[in-house]
Amino acid sequence: MNRGTQRTIDASIRFPLVSLFKAAVCWMLIATVFGLIASIKLHTPSFMEECQYMTYGKVEPIFWNTLIYGWLFNAGLGCAVFLLARLGGVPLKQGVSLMIMTVIWNLAVVIGVIGIMLGDQLPYEWLEFPSYTAPIFFVSFLGIGLWCAMAFRARVQRSTYASQWWILVALFSFAWIYSAAQIMLVCSPAQGAFQNLVSAWYAENVFGLLIAPLAFASIYYLIPKTLGISVVGYRYTGIAFWSWILFASVAGAAKMVNGPIPVWVASVGVIATFGLLLPTTTFSIQFLGSLLSRFSKIWDSASARFLFAGVVSFIAVMMFKIWGALRGSQEVVQFSIFDSGVNQLAMFGFAGMVFTGASYFILPRLLNKELPSSTLVDLQFGAHVLGLILLAIGLISGGIHQGELINGSTADMLTVVNTMRGSYFLTSMGLSLLLLGAIAYNVTFFWMLLSTRSEKEASTSLIEEAPELEYTAS
Amino acid sequence: MNRGPFIFLGVFIILSLTWALVINKPIQESGHLSPIFDAEQGGRLPMNAKGGAAQGKLVYQEFGCIACHTQQVRVSSGFDLQRGWGERQSVARDYIDQTPALIGNTRLGPDLSNVGQRRSDREWHLLHFYNPQITSKGSNMPSMPFLFETREIVGEPTNRALKLSAEYAVADGYEVIPSRKAEALVAYMKSLKVTYDLKEAPKSNDVMLEELTAALENAK
Repeated sequence: MNRGTQRTIDASIRFPLVSLFKAAVCWMLIATVFGLIASIKLHTPSFMEECQYMTYGKVEPIFWNTLIYGWLFNAGLGCAVFLLARLGGVPLKQGVSLMIMTVIWNLAVVIGVIGIMLGDQLPYEWLEFPSYTAPIFFVSFLGIGLWCAMAFRARVQRSTYASQWWILVALFSFAWIYSAAQIMLVCSPAQGAFQNLVSAWYAENVFGLLIAPLAFASIYYLIPKTLGISVVGYRYTGIAFWSWILFASVAGAAKMVNGPIPVWVASVGVIATFGLLLPTTTFSIQFLGSLLSRFSKIWDSASARFLFAGVVSFIAVMMFKIWGALRGSQEVVQFSIFDSGVNQLAMFGFAGMVFTGASYFILPRLLNKELPSSTLVDLQFGAHVLGLILLAIGLISGGIHQGELINGSTADMLTVVNTMRGSYFLTSMGLSLLLLGAIAYNVTFFWMLLSTRSEKEASTSLIEEAPELEYTAS
Repeated sequence: MNRGPFIFLGVFIILSLTWALVINKPIQESGHLSPIFDAEQGGRLPMNAKGGAAQGKLVYQEFGCIACHTQQVRVSSGFDLQRGWGERQSVARDYIDQTPALIGNTRLGPDLSNVGQRRSDREWHLLHFYNPQITSKGSNMPSMPFLFETREIVGEPTNRALKLSAEYAVADGYEVIPSRKAEALVAYMKSLKVTYDLKEAPKSNDVMLEELTAALENAK
């Protein structure tokens, strides 16, 4: 495949893809702002206290939902569409209908945010959007999923690559878990305590079967592209793939420890979480092995740098998840902000950094423009890495401390709040840095989008691809 | 693995089986509980919530109180009993009337399963919602002034008005009246108490040990 074909392919998806990334960067900014507000409210509760649309109980779910369904979904889908087109080796049709579907999706997110502010939220983790948004999400997702399935079918390169498997998993699983959760929580709710089980199952699967697969897809594609090598140990991908789906889809039940549902359910969840060690080890060897074998190259490319940070975050997240599910540590961290910290590291650190890295690979090719300022990219990278470290210390180590006080002592709750103030401050500082990074990202993106092409950019093809790397393994 | 349908099928089978195992099976097994009738403990268990409390539950949901408060008591780990948050383990039967069940998974504040037992004073709750600093200095719970109306006293002061200390008092000639939502939320708080025993609910490790010892004695 020569550069000419690639450009035709890119041109066929430029319109929907640019709008997806537009939505993604805006939601990233919005989500980070809400996260920061929620975090500030924890140490300074008088902050915006007069506004009944911005209580902590509303800002917190808005933060998570815009983060997941706003930023990460749009960014992940953008990467997925690009990969489907490039790996399939054929220009895609019906880009407009994809765009209409994603616009509807984003409208649903907007309606959901307003709904939460007005007080219609549901009390289920990551499903807080009011029930009336569910049909809109479902229909638009069905459209998106079908479009992607068609795009996959239309491929001319018949053999498939790991990225494509992961995209298929994400699309199919989300349709499954979302409809199952809506049916069992809203349409015909399970009895009392079991709603909590369904909700925990759903939330864990949003990470394990939607966000993480989209990020894996991007990593499998970007490692060969940015480093010029095939993924180390690629032949073990199948093991990692199937074991991840198997264990990740059960892991959510581990949250139910000591709760009001049968004990064995939580035990199965704990075993499954422990089983995630297998795919995690495989991924770590594949991703870190590849990145470390070309370590000097990482710093030359914006994409590879973000990818590296994402992979390191992923390994940290999985270690914390597995450790946190063990019986002894559950007794410490249950009900603390530890889980929130691990999830924020997973969303901002793992998925967020990987998608950002991917967008720095995709956008120049899509727009045939150079990144406007490497300083801004450096600033974003630095701010994000530092922010993530502060966030991890504040929430994860702070959460362990908080858990020790809540679960391991009879300390007064006011004392706990007082002790935690430092951790909450640290989290706010971390989120401020993430906000700085998000602003830098937005500036880069819109600068690139709005600038007119320089003579060099207009006359030549900027990017010299190595087409032999397009199908790295099959 | 070069074919889409193969991947679809594999994923479909795995997801169906795991869903059947961790979601469907427990619900089939113990997700269709019915209430118990026990004349000694006052009839139907769990007891039904009253009307005002049901309104208050909606307010609780609306403001996302679940983000910081759980409603479940554990006996096998933690210090829930010692903290006075309850007397026994929360079990599935306690929640059968609740849709949605506001169980929660984060404790930035105390557990509320039995808050109605600990705090039965209406005035305390109202002051706490108006400004938590009045009743719990140093708390990071948000105040909810928008659930109250500060209005000019016309004629005699209303007896529903909050009794604010000098530090938090509003301007002279004004009073703070709780809205209907505030009253409903208080009714809900006061309704949150588990005052009955259930056979399947363990009380504490000590009690369980006693029961086991007694059972062993009997067996001998």
